Amino acid sequence: MAKDSAARKLTETPSLKVVKRPGFGGGEPPPPVRPNTPIGTNAWLGTVMFLGAEAMFFAGLIGAFLVFRIGSPVWPPPFQPRLPTGITGINTMILLASAVTMHLALRAGRRGERRRLVRSLSWTASLGAIFLVVQGYEWLRLLEFGLTVSSSVYGGLFYTLIGFHAAHVLGALIWLVMVGFNARRGKYTRQNHTGLQTCSMYWTFVVALWPVLYGLVYLY
Amino acid sequence: MKKFLLNCLVIVAILSSQAARAIACAVCLSGSGDGADGYNASLLFLMSTPYLVVGAIAGGLVVTYRRAQRRREQAEDGMTSGWNQEESGR
Repeated sequence: MAKDSAARKLTETPSLKVVKRPGFGGGEPPPPVRPNTPIGTNAWLGTVMFLGAEAMFFAGLIGAFLVFRIGSPVWPPPFQPRLPTGITGINTMILLASAVTMHLALRAGRRGERRRLVRSLSWTASLGAIFLVVQGYEWLRLLEFGLTVSSSVYGGLFYTLIGFHAAHVLGALIWLVMVGFNARRGKYTRQNHTGLQTCSMYWTFVVALWPVLYGLVYLY
Repeated sequence: MKKFLLNCLVIVAILSSQAARAIACAVCLSGSGDGADGYNASLLFLMSTPYLVVGAIAGGLVVTYRRAQRRREQAEDGMTSGWNQEESGR
């Protein structure tokens, strides 16, 4: 009996095509995979919640705008300066382009390409700054034409909605500049680029919000 | 579970078939008029927004979880694919 089994072992040729999985007669078991690896960092989840709160904040402002916009038989109200839809449309394209460069920066950060990351972040910050400068210039012109926060409901709504968005863009820009400095110092790696990721999420939110506000306030 | 869902559906259908009475609603404005239209539109928008936001967050979490699950499975497959009889030496 023992001779038979020994002989069988000597004569049996292992089939190379049959790959027995570890634990089922195969080789050594592989190193254990962590079963409870989190799908995202705490900072990522916190940013998601923060953006949800920001979305509700702007929803409240848009709701207030809708009350007056839909409730008025004539809009814009008479004797109010007309908003610069053309130049703001171009400004919208500039801001949307900054979202593209931000996405390229995030991709470079995920791949560990530091130079490309810094270059894309610089482009994003520049485009964001151009957007703010153009917005500020247009506001100055509207103030000269008499549209102020207290001049009318129209003015109050305009400056509240667009003003809060501009404040968010400014905050995002400051954050972006800090992230840019960190990227230049080599802080972000392929494995750990949470700061870059959360900044990118916030920037994308601010950019995605603008076409909604532009459509409602300038075009509708 | 199916019976419970069916019961819920029946209850919702019965309740929605009732004529709307907004007279006691402190927020809704009855009657026609631009002012009422504006308030109602704004209310509908504001009531729907939390569902949109929560739905977007939940959807994002589901997508991220599934992507992470796929990556984990790929990592596991990559680790075990080399563990055949040849390499283990048995």
